[in-house]
Amino acid sequence: MSLRFQDIELGDELPEHRPDIRLEIVREFAGAARMDAAARFTDHDKAREEGLPGAIVPGIMSQGILAAMVHGWSGDGIIERIDTVFRAMVVADTEPICRGVVTDVDPGTRTIVVDLTMQNEAHETTVLGTATVRFSV
Amino acid sequence: MSDVTIDKKLIGEEFDVIDIVVKQDEALTFARACGETHPRFTDPSHENFQIPPTMVAKFVGRKIMPEGLKGFFVGTFDAGKVVDIFAPIRPGDKLRASSKIADIYEKTGRSGPMTFVVHRMEFTNQNGVKVACVDWRMVRRTPLKAE
Repeated sequence: MSLRFQDIELGDELPEHRPDIRLEIVREFAGAARMDAAARFTDHDKAREEGLPGAIVPGIMSQGILAAMVHGWSGDGIIERIDTVFRAMVVADTEPICRGVVTDVDPGTRTIVVDLTMQNEAHETTVLGTATVRFSV
Repeated sequence: MSDVTIDKKLIGEEFDVIDIVVKQDEALTFARACGETHPRFTDPSHENFQIPPTMVAKFVGRKIMPEGLKGFFVGTFDAGKVVDIFAPIRPGDKLRASSKIADIYEKTGRSGPMTFVVHRMEFTNQNGVKVACVDWRMVRRTPLKAE
């Protein structure tokens, strides 16, 4: 089921999303992104030896998770731009929550802007950003 | 005290070009790990099958920095990325990616002055169509000394 532009209103909230960032998934991502040579993405113990709290999720994986949340909500909506700020580390094997809210609607271009956040279990914002999404209908 | 001196003329100069072939297996794994569920990202038989839009952010050139900014990279951290997508990218596409420094600026935060360098990578496909642009903001706490 895909959303239509006319169905979207300013202030609409995307369903909360709890991404799967178990270490095995982060390792899989790191392999596909050719980042698996960096132990901080693949091994808790080695990451701790580097002074990190544990293996961390690559910033571009957090960005990809937020994009996937937008796609899951919008269906055929096309992300034209996504801007993410990495404010704090996202640790693998934790349970962050991703949220989105529509903050701009432009009927002229059939585009919307969605503000995005990822929060950790302590309710700290680790990633924030915006996505510009275009709809054909 | 700054340990890196930069020439502001570096801004805008192309310093690296690479050719990339987009691989389907990497695109599918990238999509799955990020939690994509739309078949245009997960099903190669879909009529509009394409790579997830943020996947272009994974590509890096042979050089991360131009010669004049080599010392900058030590001690930096990734402050964020902007991905602009202008056209779908399909597995098998042959992309040419060119890198330049788009901007250098300073900000002062709670921990003191910080220097931001914006690394821009622009992607053109085999048909000469500009398909994507990635701005990578790198930040370093030690300020740079401009020439």
